[in-house]
Amino acid sequence: MSLTAADRERSLVDWLRARRRVAIGFSGGVDSAYLAVVARRALGVDDVLAVIGRSASYPAEQWATAREVAAGFDVTVVELDTDELNDPRYAANPSNRCYFCKTELWSRLVPLAQARGFATTIDGTNADDLSDYRPGAQAAREHGVESPLAELGFTKVDIRERSHALGIPTWSQPSSPCLSSRIPYGTSVTPQRLGQVEQAERALRALGITDDLRVRYHDDLARIELRAEALTYWLAPERFDELRDAVTAAGFARVALDLRGFRSGSLNVLHGVTTA
Amino acid sequence: MSIRRETPGGQPPLEGALAERGLVVKVESRAGLAVLIADAATVARLGDVELRRTALALAREHGFSHVAIELRSDTGGLPRIDAPVSRD
Repeated sequence: MSLTAADRERSLVDWLRARRRVAIGFSGGVDSAYLAVVARRALGVDDVLAVIGRSASYPAEQWATAREVAAGFDVTVVELDTDELNDPRYAANPSNRCYFCKTELWSRLVPLAQARGFATTIDGTNADDLSDYRPGAQAAREHGVESPLAELGFTKVDIRERSHALGIPTWSQPSSPCLSSRIPYGTSVTPQRLGQVEQAERALRALGITDDLRVRYHDDLARIELRAEALTYWLAPERFDELRDAVTAAGFARVALDLRGFRSGSLNVLHGVTTA
Repeated sequence: MSIRRETPGGQPPLEGALAERGLVVKVESRAGLAVLIADAATVARLGDVELRRTALALAREHGFSHVAIELRSDTGGLPRIDAPVSRD
């Protein structure tokens, strides 16, 4: 008999109670928000520490969401600055870029947690992530970070379902990987480029786009990915001007709309790291 | 990033294939990404799901994993990429 999401949550509570105290790598995304709230309910306020790593690749909106969730569910938060862009191995943007980012994150976060008496550090990696190309997961393993959602078989659907049940506002939030994921491998990651992407996506959100959305950086050209079902709406003559104007205001000379629509890991496909 | 027409001179294969389906565009190739460049009326026609599927399938047949339509501010004429690739 297959487990329900509620069954998995009961297992997660047991898993957390066996560790007694946990520090969480907390981005405010769907997965880590759920994990933080369940941990807070299972362990109490003193035995959960949510740690936000802030850097240029971390969207400001995501930070605001993280703080909102923490405040709403009485989760203790600590912020630390990370500086992965200062690592030339990261800034050069190889296909294993995430490994260097997560190495920077965990090498700061884990000692911080241990200094505060948290022997266990966990992250929000889920079971779906295990089938994707995730070089950052290696860095987590190297630093002893555990991933209970993946270990207990939580899918993204499970996490959204239980988040909804618990009243966590991120339950319907689109996935939100770091801004560097918009820049093709081999194109260097710079604060200016990340800023362009973030500004363009913010402008598109201001047009009312609430679903999955990415602005992919291709030098002078920005390629917008929207949910496939939304393409017909936005390709109407009176509307695609709005998309273009929003994105050119962020400093892109040219704007194009992807005809397939949003796909997670799109640039992995473009560079042959994964298949479509 | 290298940007080129699909082939120097003549009608590139994907452009020709799209034209046969009534979709008159220029194709700018950026590695696995095909950027379609067209007038505003053609952009609007791509609001049709079936036409998009056709364009995606043809692009895939021609080795492109991604296809995007440029959203241009000028609604008349085709872009500079339409100019001859070389001149005497």
